[in-house]
Amino acid sequence: MLEEALEAIRKAPDLEALKALRARYLGKKGLLTQEMKALSQLPLEARKERGQRLNAWKEALEKALARREAELEEEALRRALEKERLDVSLPGVALFAGGLHPITLMERELVGIFRALGYEAVEGPEVESEFFNFDALNIPEHHPARDMWDTFWLEGKARVRGPLGEEAEGRLLLRTHTSPMQVRYMVAHTPPFRIVVPGRVFRFEQTDATHEAVFHQLEGLVVGEGITMAHLKGAIYELAQALFGPDSKVRFQPVYFPFVEPGAQFALWWPEGGKWLELGGAGMVHPKVFQAVDAYRQRLGLPPAYQGVTGFAFGLGVERLAMLRYGIPDIRYFFGGRLKFLEQFRGIL
Amino acid sequence: MRVPFSWLKQYVPELESPEVLEERLAGLGFETDRIERVFRIPQGVVFARVLEASPIPGTKLKRLVLDMGRAVEVVSGAENAREGIGVALALPGTELNGQKVGERVIQGVVSFGMALSPKELGVGEYGGGLLEFPEDALPPGTPLAEAWPEEVVLDLEVTPNRPDALGILGLAYDLHALGYALKEPEAPLATEAVPLPFGLKVEDPLGAPHFTLGYAFGLKVGPSPLWMQRALFAAGMRPISNVVDVTNYVMLERAQPMHAFDLRFIGEGILVRRARPGERLKTLDGVERTLSQEDLVIAGWRGEESFPVGLAGVMGGAESEVRGDTEAIALEVACFDPVSIRKTARRHGLRTEASYRFERGVDPLGQIPAQRRALSLLQALAGARVAEGILEAGNPKPPSPIPFRPEYANRLLGTQYPEAEQIAILKRLGCRVEGEGPYRVIPPSRRLDLRLEEDLVEEVARIQGYETIPLDLPAFFPAPDNRGVGRAYEKEGRLKEVLAGLGFQEVYTYSFTDPEEAPHFRLSPPPLRLLNPLSPEKAALRTHLFPGLLKVLRENLALDRPQRALLFEVGRAYRLEGSLVEEETHLAGLLFGEGVGLPHGEKLSGYPLLKGLLEAFFQRLGLAFQAEAHPYPFLHPGVSAQALVEGRALGFLGEVHPEVLRALELPKAWVFELTLPFPEKPFRFQDPSRYPQALRDLAVVVPEATPYAEVEGVIREAAGAYLEALSLFDLYQGPPLKPGEKSLAFHLRFRHPGRTLTDEEVDEAMERVFQAVRGRGWSIRG
Repeated sequence: MLEEALEAIRKAPDLEALKALRARYLGKKGLLTQEMKALSQLPLEARKERGQRLNAWKEALEKALARREAELEEEALRRALEKERLDVSLPGVALFAGGLHPITLMERELVGIFRALGYEAVEGPEVESEFFNFDALNIPEHHPARDMWDTFWLEGKARVRGPLGEEAEGRLLLRTHTSPMQVRYMVAHTPPFRIVVPGRVFRFEQTDATHEAVFHQLEGLVVGEGITMAHLKGAIYELAQALFGPDSKVRFQPVYFPFVEPGAQFALWWPEGGKWLELGGAGMVHPKVFQAVDAYRQRLGLPPAYQGVTGFAFGLGVERLAMLRYGIPDIRYFFGGRLKFLEQFRGIL
Repeated sequence: MRVPFSWLKQYVPELESPEVLEERLAGLGFETDRIERVFRIPQGVVFARVLEASPIPGTKLKRLVLDMGRAVEVVSGAENAREGIGVALALPGTELNGQKVGERVIQGVVSFGMALSPKELGVGEYGGGLLEFPEDALPPGTPLAEAWPEEVVLDLEVTPNRPDALGILGLAYDLHALGYALKEPEAPLATEAVPLPFGLKVEDPLGAPHFTLGYAFGLKVGPSPLWMQRALFAAGMRPISNVVDVTNYVMLERAQPMHAFDLRFIGEGILVRRARPGERLKTLDGVERTLSQEDLVIAGWRGEESFPVGLAGVMGGAESEVRGDTEAIALEVACFDPVSIRKTARRHGLRTEASYRFERGVDPLGQIPAQRRALSLLQALAGARVAEGILEAGNPKPPSPIPFRPEYANRLLGTQYPEAEQIAILKRLGCRVEGEGPYRVIPPSRRLDLRLEEDLVEEVARIQGYETIPLDLPAFFPAPDNRGVGRAYEKEGRLKEVLAGLGFQEVYTYSFTDPEEAPHFRLSPPPLRLLNPLSPEKAALRTHLFPGLLKVLRENLALDRPQRALLFEVGRAYRLEGSLVEEETHLAGLLFGEGVGLPHGEKLSGYPLLKGLLEAFFQRLGLAFQAEAHPYPFLHPGVSAQALVEGRALGFLGEVHPEVLRALELPKAWVFELTLPFPEKPFRFQDPSRYPQALRDLAVVVPEATPYAEVEGVIREAAGAYLEALSLFDLYQGPPLKPGEKSLAFHLRFRHPGRTLTDEEVDEAMERVFQAVRGRGWSIRG
């Protein structure tokens, strides 16, 4: 009987069948249970011997039942999991993947470099008055230097606010450079300080692959006692090193900007490309700019703050660097809005 | 400015090569745009003398007999082909501009090659007549390439502060400061004590602070010698005649424009005055111009009458110009007010070599030396006799001394240049240096840019070379009012990051807009317009960013047919508030297309998706955000909302109005636009409660038109302080509800921060909610 029972348990096809087998042998009216009950009618000697045998049989059956049960449960789980199998290669829910504009990325890289040197980034208005864009920067009307900036002028007699919210004098234009923020910032703050001014600027110019009427600059201004041209060179050197690594270097050459003296243009050595990149203009803040700032402060009832200080300023074009950094062949792409262009910059975090 | 290398080398004989020159000039602050090699005169072009010139009847052609070592015949159509001049003859077989010159039969004459214009020879732009030389310029038959070798021309960028460098000699002075020897041109002059046949009156000494008139007579006008023509061609000017060429040559040499008047046409003398209203003058370019009262003119006079003969500092008059039979001239060399010249040149749209220099300024003491140099050349080249006297009006001031401290130079530059070296540099630049300790430096009068001590510091640095300035970093604590000024910019940057993380792609669009397009977007016309737009489509400044995003969408659809797009831009929008420009930073976004979901399954898009994204955005920013139905002309009237951030109306969101979409031929799109910066909300930490939540559900039946926000508001208010969260889990319409009704079902979670809420407390709260709901005339379902 034992062999037959063990064989049946081993072959039980499912948990139901196993349950039935347990009942058949070990249930209240099971075969083995019956046998155990019948023991009491046996003589003591025989009872002892048969009792031991029946216990051994029971143990064997229990073991077999447990083993088969485990087997069947495992099998059931396996089947259930198999049912839930997914094609993991199917695409997931299509969310959107966003990204930043390459000029934002480039500007952020530049600002980050200067932030590490202790500069803070501030922004200024794009619609600007002739006073801040030109006059206060030592570029008087009717001076040929004004030809250096082809300007968009605004119609009408509207005015902009000055650095402290006052109505500012002068005809309106679209700022041709970020330099008016030099004046605005100095009027509203006292030295020493280090700032950078990123922003959109405008030139009355037809567009082609290398020229845009609307582009971006980064202006830098450091003012304090004992600020030197060596500090200016050091700042640009740090920029070169951060952008292009330890093999980069800087080159300064004299040039004229009315709001700096001495004035310079600077180039960075781009080791990868093996060439100098003319990047922007720079120089020591012109004494007339400091004078214009203090005169304006005086008109607003502020004490002069720029006597006896020196400072340096620099400005560079963001597009030109971005084009180089990312290998962009045409400046018009930046305002083109084509997603096939913009979506490529997602890898740049 | 075009600088022929050989011309500059005359004054700086030690110049090594054009390449070295380019480098030196760059170090001095003059950038070379390009280096050009000119005058590649082909083999086979020889010098020839015109022996005879006779018209070929019935044509405009002439038969020329030329001496090129032997006599040959050539046909020419040039008006100036005449006996007694030298010409450039291209022999048959010569390659000219890729074509071979042949021996051709023209009107029965066998033309042995051709006589060349400057253009045909490739030395200048002029093609209207023959290149003319003096007949004895070279032995006939000499290959022209021998006498006229190749020239290297540097095209220099001269910044507006350095008008002195608009003359070759000005550059020579700068190179001299670097250490090159200087050889100044000589001006040998034999003068005669003759009375001057003209007078000079300057009515406007502010317009013409210094005015001189020289007198040359007995002139023989003819072609200039080869060397001068070569120099002028190389510098980009066209030789005219020896007299005119001398004035141009001296201008290019010393940046001092001048003008020669034929004595026969100036009456009794020269009067410098403002033009009379409506006065007319025919200038050298043949244009008859109506003058303005602000124009400074050079006039001739007779008795009380005066008549303009030139637009001062800009262009001479056609009447009084030097011509073939001119024998005597009055030579004007003057210094004019730059602003006046600039205005006149602009008014007449005339930018000449002269006006270009005058509006930048000329050496106020340079007139007499320039007179002498020009008169000396006239004597040498045109056989002029020269009067001893030069009429002069005005009293030009010499430059004022500038205090200079070498230690200040070092302080400003961060250098340690020795004092003696600095002073030596200033002296080599032509400055007079007086005193000691605080030096007094008197710059040369040609250097109009040297006014301040800082200007002199730049001179020292420029000549030492900027590469000698060391690298350094400043260390200081910023003044307190500069602390934290960069926070707004940093914030804006992080905001962009959050948007990109939510799936928005950043775009940049132009600040310009087309005012004609405003109605397409159902916007009012932009108040700020440009005076000088690049094109009508860019004639005004945008008031909103979303139209730019719609245009970006349109272009992408046309090019690449994307199935969806999620865009944002942060940029300025411009309004007018009274007479003040209000420039605001806006954040705008656009959603288009199928939205999110399985590529092979169901999608979610439209207003709910855009709003969900904004909700996630503002949750990330920790700011309360609500959308309230509010009409905007450019939005779908049924899907149009005002955006409230921390209760402040900062913009809108919704579906773009179908008419806007139709005007742009666009499919449906959803946009939002908000004004930055967002309100500041101080951060406050709250310890999360550790006590259990009590959960309740509630379904409210309200009229269909009741906004969700209103229902939510009623529940929140009634539920009290311990309502931790409220969430909508079902929105139902249909039986058993009546038509025009909807049911909103909510989960409510209650929790107390400091203890376990009792069932009674929660039931009380729910009872308040029931009452509030019923109080509104709504009902509780189930």
